[in-house]
Amino acid sequence: MNAAIEYQQASQNRASHATPPRRADDLSVAALLAQYHPDHAADASTLLHIGPSRGQPCHPRLAQLLQSNALIDGFDLAGAEQRSTDVLVLGGGGAGAAAALTAARSGAAVMLASKLRLGDSNTVMAEGGIQAALAASDSPQQHFDDAMRGGHHAADPQLLAQLASDAPGVIRWLIELGMHFDLADPLSDGGKLRYKQAGGCSQPRILCYRDYTGLEMMRVLRETVELEPGIQLLNRCPVVELLSHQDGSCAGAVLYDLEYQRFIVVSARQTILATGGCGQLHLQGFPTSNHYGATADGLVLAYRLGAQLRDMDAFQYHPTGVAWPPRLRGGLISEAARSAGALLLNGLGERFVDELAPRDVVTAAMLRECAAGRGIERDGQLGLFLDLRPLCGPGLPTLASQLPALQHLADKCGIDPTRDPLLVYPTLHYQNGGVVIDSQGQSSVPGLLCAGEITGGIHGRNRLMGNALLDILAFGRRAGRQAARQAQAARNKSSLPHLRGGIEHVYRWQRQLALAGLDASQPAPLLYPGQARLTLHRPASARA
Amino acid sequence: MEKLNQVLLNPAVQVGPDLAAWLHAGGGLGLQAALGAPSAIIRCIADADLRGMGGAGFPAWRKWEATANAVGDCKYVVCNGNEDEPGTFKDRTLLSASPHQVVEGALIAALAVRARCLIFYLNPHQDSSLHTMQQAVSQWQDSPWLDKLSHALGHPLDIKVVASSGRYIGGEETAVVASLEAGFPFPRKKPPFPAEQGINNQPTLINNVETLANVSHILRHGAGWYRALGVGKACGTKLYSLSGDVLRPGLYELPMGSSLQELVFHYGGGMLQGKAFKAVFTGGPSNTLLTARDLDVALDFDSVWLRHSRLGTGAMIVISEGSSIIRKVAEYIDFFAKGSCGQCPSCKCGTFQLARLLDRVDGGRHSPADLDALQHLCQILPGSGRCGLIDGAVTVVKSSLHTFPEEYGLLVQQTA
Ligand SMILES: Cc1cc2nc3c(=O)[nH]c(=O)nc-3n(C[C@H](O)[C@H](O)[C@H](O)COP(=O)(O)OP(=O)(O)OC[C@H]3O[C@@H](n4cnc5c(N)ncnc54)[C@H](O)[C@@H]3O)c2cc1C
Ligand SMILES: Cc1cc2nc3c(=O)[nH]c(=O)nc-3n(C[C@H](O)[C@H](O)[C@H](O)COP(=O)(O)O)c2cc1C
Ligand code: SF4
Repeated sequence: MNAAIEYQQASQNRASHATPPRRADDLSVAALLAQYHPDHAADASTLLHIGPSRGQPCHPRLAQLLQSNALIDGFDLAGAEQRSTDVLVLGGGGAGAAAALTAARSGAAVMLASKLRLGDSNTVMAEGGIQAALAASDSPQQHFDDAMRGGHHAADPQLLAQLASDAPGVIRWLIELGMHFDLADPLSDGGKLRYKQAGGCSQPRILCYRDYTGLEMMRVLRETVELEPGIQLLNRCPVVELLSHQDGSCAGAVLYDLEYQRFIVVSARQTILATGGCGQLHLQGFPTSNHYGATADGLVLAYRLGAQLRDMDAFQYHPTGVAWPPRLRGGLISEAARSAGALLLNGLGERFVDELAPRDVVTAAMLRECAAGRGIERDGQLGLFLDLRPLCGPGLPTLASQLPALQHLADKCGIDPTRDPLLVYPTLHYQNGGVVIDSQGQSSVPGLLCAGEITGGIHGRNRLMGNALLDILAFGRRAGRQAARQAQAARNKSSLPHLRGGIEHVYRWQRQLALAGLDASQPAPLLYPGQARLTLHRPASARA
Repeated sequence: MEKLNQVLLNPAVQVGPDLAAWLHAGGGLGLQAALGAPSAIIRCIADADLRGMGGAGFPAWRKWEATANAVGDCKYVVCNGNEDEPGTFKDRTLLSASPHQVVEGALIAALAVRARCLIFYLNPHQDSSLHTMQQAVSQWQDSPWLDKLSHALGHPLDIKVVASSGRYIGGEETAVVASLEAGFPFPRKKPPFPAEQGINNQPTLINNVETLANVSHILRHGAGWYRALGVGKACGTKLYSLSGDVLRPGLYELPMGSSLQELVFHYGGGMLQGKAFKAVFTGGPSNTLLTARDLDVALDFDSVWLRHSRLGTGAMIVISEGSSIIRKVAEYIDFFAKGSCGQCPSCKCGTFQLARLLDRVDGGRHSPADLDALQHLCQILPGSGRCGLIDGAVTVVKSSLHTFPEEYGLLVQQTA
């Protein structure tokens, strides 16, 4: 560990200033990112050797998974239960739920399979809120401009424009489903939404419900999905491989039913991958804020089938993960804290960055403080102070009423936020890149659509707070609508039951692995992180 | 000497639709030799022992001679490029990468049988081969070669490029005739064979693309040269469409009679993932399966026949240990059921029933009576159709039942 200032000493330094001084910025943003952001570390990028995006940069750990062998072989399909549907949605987070609902309401027969249970996802963990340009002073254009700047102008302008202009419709849809949002003055006018400021935004644009917006959102989505007769729900059925037709298009997927320990082969006219991100890979050794199932499964499967990826070397490390106590390490403290006025301080008691700068900038500045020996050490954990006193002044609403999840977290840390700061350190939070999609969520593989954190291009190389919850719904709904349309078109063309697919693409992939001299002994997707590696149960082969 | 890609896939002749480039690469010399002595063409083809590469391996010269000797004032030659069988991808490669060797061979055939009309009958689902052939043929039509040919024939030669229906059954030779008479591709009863009564009751020579592609080379270099290319008694080279669980699937031209072992393990790079070799569907999905015991078989028509199977189109679909034979067979029978033209009730219903039963067996949803039914169908169906489709479908089911009874859950008879 780098040299650091001891906790007691740092606390004294902090107490010695009435208002913390601000350290002058002596590095340009570009230089700060280049020197200190984890994406720019020497060992954070390699080139992909095989597959549709070969030659492109990718994080080495992810590259290892992308260029790995399949979990299953042809014999796993023999005798497996066969099902078929119009639209198969994989992943039970916000993107999957929105896609399934929209497809079903457009008339398609839908199957929704999730690795854990519907709703066990990153979506429920979202605290801060969702962006939408609804205020009188605001416009989709300003929303677009902010996100474009925040993403370092690397976003796909068409996708981003759609994100910004879909936003008001998304909020209306959520309210219709029954979701609650915080109101500006609920008692007097009863209906005005409250807007909060987010890092990197030109004006307050975040809508939220307390600081558990994602939980509230998933509550209504889950209820609606479970009550929708057009959706067949398969819980605890992770996808282990996709299926392909001879022409390379997607033909559905192979699921593994954890309860009965058997494979299910689902033929689908259209398949939507909404399996989320990859935080559980702990890239660059960072802790993560992500849920247990964020193991990049969908990326691995889509890539093997031939879908192009982008920005696979751009990740978001959220500035304020818990650093102490160690048992809560990586857990997220929402950006809502900083947007409400919380300050970041180094061991000398100084502020060192604009707390509402884009996340990558704040993270790089924090890592710089730690590298320069101005970090704070407590019981072996390195971090910086997140000072909550500005939120707790006299005359302000209590933390417990404003940000109950944060108060709850402070309680779990054994800290009184009106007196003591939290110790925080960046945490691996979000995958900026992912599968390349068009405006309807269509990937480069016919029959395969993607929505949610698995996709790339919408946010460029850095995402702003609140744009992920928006993206999963905007593009989840687009993908659901498009899949239903395509399935309907296929049904009009031929009334015959659709052809079964196979795993010929897996064999093609194995050839590429062998010819490129890559290790084919490691199977992927991981499905569950680390210790929980699941061994798929197979009946003994008849000929063995 | 390098044994791979000596003639048809020789890099020197992959010149695309440019006629000048083909002539530069030695094209035209075969036709020139043929024009010098038209009456010697069939003898030369017979000496070379050129076989029909469309599946049957029937000596080409016998059909040529029959057509030449038959009486008719408007004989036809048809180049059959309908190729649509799972696992076969040779003709499309020839047609799109070196179309002129096919055209020149067909012109020589037309000269040998004294045809008035030459038709290239091509699968429209392979648009690159259709497009390339149209370009290639129009260049011959504008060249002095055609005048020389008409002069030798004593009448003009009409050349057409025709898109087939693109259906599998449309490749069967009597279905070719029916299609070209502007009908639906319904196979007809044989005899009469097309060589006697084909299109509009005129003698018609129907040859596969690969068969015709060899002809100009034989006339140019001589029958002896062609014979010497083969291994042992076999003559010439063969295009093998290698697919399935091998490391390097692809199209390989090897001396006729090269061993299966060599094709799979040397040229094909061995089994994918180092799995064990289980079986191979030889000559496409309609023949008897060969197993690891047969890896030494020489891949020529006669040697494969001695193992009770057929070389067919030269397709080799390799299956590894761990893959289900039933699933593959079910897939192929499904293909046949969808491809049946439906004229013969036994074929229409028989392939459908076979497909249905196999699907149940594959899914583990079958009863013992289903297996009995499968075996009975294999006994009663062969020979009941007008064309070879139903026989091919039964052959592969029967062979899988015989070779892999345990996969069907049948008790293996122990011989003491
Ligand atoms: C702690 C935290 C706080 C956040 N706060 C905010 C915020 O305030 N505002 C904001 O906009 N964004 C926020 N985000 C980001 C946002 O929540 C996510 O990017 C977004 O919810 C992703 O949605 P998704 O549907 O694409 O993926 P997820 O919600 O992660 O859902 C993926 C689903 O796929 C399933 N799955 C995975 N693998 C398989 C498989 N092999 N087979 C079947 N199913 C599989 C998972 O079980 C899960 O149900 C936050 C993220 C985290 C982790
Ligand atoms: C069902 C069926 C389909 C066939 N399809 C083709 C085909 O697509 N192309 C082809 O050249 N021969 C095909 N044949 C073989 C032809 O009937 C014929 O034997 C061949 O075109 C003769 O050419 P060859 O003597 O040069 O082999 C098929 C035969 C059957 C029974
Ligand atoms: S055997 Fe089958 S394909 Fe052949 S003619 Fe009869 S019905 Fe048609």
